[in-house]
Amino acid sequence: MTAVVDVEQAGTPAPAAPPAPRRPHRGWARVVRYRWLLVMMLPGILYFLLFRIWPMWGAQIAFKNYVPFLGIQGSEWVGWHHFQEFFSNPDFPRLLGNTLILAALSLFVAFPLTIVLALLLNEVRLSVLKRTVQTLVYIPHFLSWTVVVSLTALLFAIGTGPLSSFLDGLTGTETNYLADPDWFRPLILLQTIWKSTGWGTIIFLAALASVDQEQYEAAVIDGAGRWQRTWHITLPAIRPTIIVMLILQTGEILNTGFEQIYLMSNALNRTVADVFDTYVYFTGIQQGAYSYSTAVGLSKAIVGLVLIFGTNWLAKRFNQQGIF
Amino acid sequence: MRTRRLAPLALLAVGSLALAACGSGGGDGGDGGGGGEALDSLSIMAPYFSATPPEDDDPVGAKLSELAGLDLDMQWVPNAEYGDRTNVVLAGDEIPDVMVIQQKSQGFVQTAEAGGFWDLTEYLASGDYPNLVTENPDVQQASSVNGKVYGVYRARDVVRTSITIRKDWLKNLGLEEPTNTDELMALAKAFTEDDPDGNGKDDTYGMIIPAWGASIGTGSPYDAIETWFGAGNVWKDEGGQLIPSFTTPEWKQALDYEKQLIENGYVNKDYATMDGSTQWNEPFLNGKGGIIIDVQSRASQLAGLFKEKDPKTYDQFVALQGNIAGPNGDFALPTPGYSGFLAVPKASVQTEEQLKQVLTALNELSSTEGQVLENNGIEGDNFTVEDGFAVNDESKQDYTDLVSGSWAQIGTNVAGYEAYKPKPETEYDAELEQERVDLQAKDLEKAVFNPGAALVSETYMTNGVQLDQVIADARIQYISGQIDEAGLDAAIAQWKSSGGDAVTAEMNELYGQLG
Amino acid sequence: MAAPLTTVPTVPPGRASRRASRPSTQHQRFNTRAGRAFDVVNVVLLVAVGLLALLPFLYVLAGSFATELEITTRPFFLWPRDFTTDSYASILSSDAFVRAFVTTVVVTLVGTLVQLALTALMAYPLSKVDLPGRRTIMTVVVFTMVFSAGMIPTFLVVKQLGLLDSYWALILPMAINPFSLIIIKNFFQQLPQELEESAKIDGAHELQILRHVVIPLSKPVLATFALFYAVGIWNDYMSPLLYLNDQDMWTLQMFLRQVTASASLSAQDMGAELPPPAQGIKFAVVIVATIPVLLAYPFLQKHFAKGMLIGSVKG
Repeated sequence: MTAVVDVEQAGTPAPAAPPAPRRPHRGWARVVRYRWLLVMMLPGILYFLLFRIWPMWGAQIAFKNYVPFLGIQGSEWVGWHHFQEFFSNPDFPRLLGNTLILAALSLFVAFPLTIVLALLLNEVRLSVLKRTVQTLVYIPHFLSWTVVVSLTALLFAIGTGPLSSFLDGLTGTETNYLADPDWFRPLILLQTIWKSTGWGTIIFLAALASVDQEQYEAAVIDGAGRWQRTWHITLPAIRPTIIVMLILQTGEILNTGFEQIYLMSNALNRTVADVFDTYVYFTGIQQGAYSYSTAVGLSKAIVGLVLIFGTNWLAKRFNQQGIF
Repeated sequence: MRTRRLAPLALLAVGSLALAACGSGGGDGGDGGGGGEALDSLSIMAPYFSATPPEDDDPVGAKLSELAGLDLDMQWVPNAEYGDRTNVVLAGDEIPDVMVIQQKSQGFVQTAEAGGFWDLTEYLASGDYPNLVTENPDVQQASSVNGKVYGVYRARDVVRTSITIRKDWLKNLGLEEPTNTDELMALAKAFTEDDPDGNGKDDTYGMIIPAWGASIGTGSPYDAIETWFGAGNVWKDEGGQLIPSFTTPEWKQALDYEKQLIENGYVNKDYATMDGSTQWNEPFLNGKGGIIIDVQSRASQLAGLFKEKDPKTYDQFVALQGNIAGPNGDFALPTPGYSGFLAVPKASVQTEEQLKQVLTALNELSSTEGQVLENNGIEGDNFTVEDGFAVNDESKQDYTDLVSGSWAQIGTNVAGYEAYKPKPETEYDAELEQERVDLQAKDLEKAVFNPGAALVSETYMTNGVQLDQVIADARIQYISGQIDEAGLDAAIAQWKSSGGDAVTAEMNELYGQLG
Repeated sequence: MAAPLTTVPTVPPGRASRRASRPSTQHQRFNTRAGRAFDVVNVVLLVAVGLLALLPFLYVLAGSFATELEITTRPFFLWPRDFTTDSYASILSSDAFVRAFVTTVVVTLVGTLVQLALTALMAYPLSKVDLPGRRTIMTVVVFTMVFSAGMIPTFLVVKQLGLLDSYWALILPMAINPFSLIIIKNFFQQLPQELEESAKIDGAHELQILRHVVIPLSKPVLATFALFYAVGIWNDYMSPLLYLNDQDMWTLQMFLRQVTASASLSAQDMGAELPPPAQGIKFAVVIVATIPVLLAYPFLQKHFAKGMLIGSVKG
């Protein structure tokens, strides 16, 4: 039997073998060929049908005026009403802007830092130290935003916090960094980096653990330096993972998360702090307006879907393995 | 041979789904509803604040069941998640016989208006259930939805707003407790500039204000000052018409007063960001700030912390003053007077006979005996009675906390609070408690109630939170100097155009109907 | 940052280079002067990062052993002046907590196993590019990743399936995370195909290939997602809230959430005269909720470190 070579496998560290012509399997023949794999997948398919697809019929409440007591069926149809209300909101451009800026910061600053930290951890030779640091950097992930925000308040307390005093010393003025609109985004970014960078490395470290050590040995014999090894072996090895993570992240671009922003926003920085997630909380969820929040969720999902398919297509164009 | 090793994996996966499919087939309708026959148990859904909810065999629960004449089947829900749970329960079909409704949310109001809850107005007025007849009709009215009473409200102190002041600082500077807003300003100035702690350093300020949620009319220090200035309480009745309090000239006058406090540095600099739930006490305890406008229990809480610091001198630090006069009169800011209500869903209580059964049980639960069980626990076990006060058994304090954090949540006390108050430990505690009671009586006479409390406007239901946020934010931005008066006016104009005008119109229509 | 792309050796001359040019072992291969300097800087940097991550946690830990007065009056400390275990006593005193703790551990263990198995079983076939229906299934998976129907529709389905008041309700509705599925699938896809092919030629069954070739090669990633799933179940408070009426079945988070959430989002309850939960208790709760997951980590970590042992699999 001929090996089926995966043509999408451009991401493997080894120089890609010339793809063998793929033998076309059509229709029934393919099903027969893959019958056991298809059977293997049945529980998963059943799961998606039951717990992911079936509840979707409830998403029709986006087009209804849903009252829990009347039930999904019994509630009255209102068509695109909730969507119109969302998109025609005078604050919509501001919400979109704030959301995109925060998403961009996390994508272009926090995300690369995750990769850098993973690479640095990978370079540590003393395995006790490596494991210890790895465990330590995961800790912030487990602290809730409430804890993170109150620690931030402690560090930036006006006039008395260690970080605010330091910054005041640099600028020569006393500022309430927690209320200053100019400082909102840097603070959010700082918190995000602190809380999620360590945890984010975990996937890359898993990818790095799969790199064949023999390649490093061979590279050393060839006289490759550390940078060269990183550039030619390590990075290509985790490139598929980086690309997949990037694609998946673009799909989340409109989800900034609610709790962190809610807890960090106040009357004085609200102009830059309002994002879709807090807006939906105030207009929808807090009041039990499920139709409205479902409509917003649906709109966001469509944008996310388009972005994921778009970036996936782009990745394929550049001969990278996408998520499909 | 190797297949045997992967069998468990496959079994686990398939088995889990099989389990899912059969699941628990026959567990529907736990409560006694069913058809029209009499209830044999009473299921109640209620929030709890304690660390854990009472166990199924809780002794208070057993005694309350006996008292109610129906087996109580409690569904305890953590308070933090009560709202979500309420909506899910309303969507399902296993609805309890009695539900604590915490707020008139959109979900509740829509359900009530669609006929999902019994209208109790007539039943409560009939006098058949004496323990459910309110001693304060204003509060019952406020708890209603446009005049229809859908639940027995859970009574709370009507007057709680007060000013807590550093007693030793007053003494050091030879000052008296303020009686009006001018004196309060002067006191804040003195506490800031006149070295009230006598350490020769400029390290004190007057008033401690924390960040407040983006809402109006929720008992913030700002709300209190505005009411003292005569801006009303959320709504103001002017010649039979309701107008939002923030459109009155008194409100702006109050804001200028607040702005002055901030500009002159009489307030902590982080007033816009300080976390009130964790940091409000700290400056007071550490001698940095000396005035707190909040509920009366703040004073006893602070006294308790001073006591922990030094039990000998703790009585020298906390002074309590009530609502004070403003430039336009003497007003007090009351609370809504209730915290949610016990409503009866029609899905589970289907006939009038069943409803009467439920109300009879609730009537018993609100009797003196019921209130003592709910608020104090079991006499002779976790507490004893001395001079009409409850003395808690210290070894059973955990249980006492459990009772007050859970069973008290189904207490209504609408006909008056009959349970025992905890016995003050010292003379000073007793003094503070007495002062509190006196201030409550005095301030009740000048309390300004929200005339629109009972009214539920449809536009407010959907946009209210957003609308309130516009005003609450503008208030802080104005007093901080981020916006000027024109900016404040623009915010009010934005409020009007983005739904506020509709809210005002709807409120007035309902106000007219209610008479 | 620009790394030299050339393949010409840039190793500086000197004894170090001589040593490095010998057939090297792990420990020798970076022993150049620049290499050592980098190592020092790197170690210092990472230790600093580790401490930065640890300090706030130590503060929470110290706070959980401090009195309420100390927490209120001292802004930041790593060692409490008055050491007390009251906060823990008040959490751990109740039977409900102990019961919930055991329940949570069991549900987390079983749940992680079930979820990981279901995910791997679905990810493996999807890693075959030629699989019939693959594109359709992947599109659905991606859609369910960006859009979930919401709390109430999911609740109604779980109820319809008769899962209310069953521990399966905490496991099955989140059994396959689309994100995890996609990542695991991609890892499978990157494995060298030759191994699978040769196993096939040896007459191995698909399940056997998965079990004896693919899974051993993917241990790091599977360990990672085991941790993800475990943390997901451990921290979940919404499922028990919605699906478990019987409070005897509640998990730890139902109780912990009560203590930590009440002060933040619903601080301004105008109702009862109940003081907010003490700060010390909140800190203790954070510790109780975090420590077990942190302890679980080293057990999984050994799977990350080894890397894939292609040789041993081949042999």
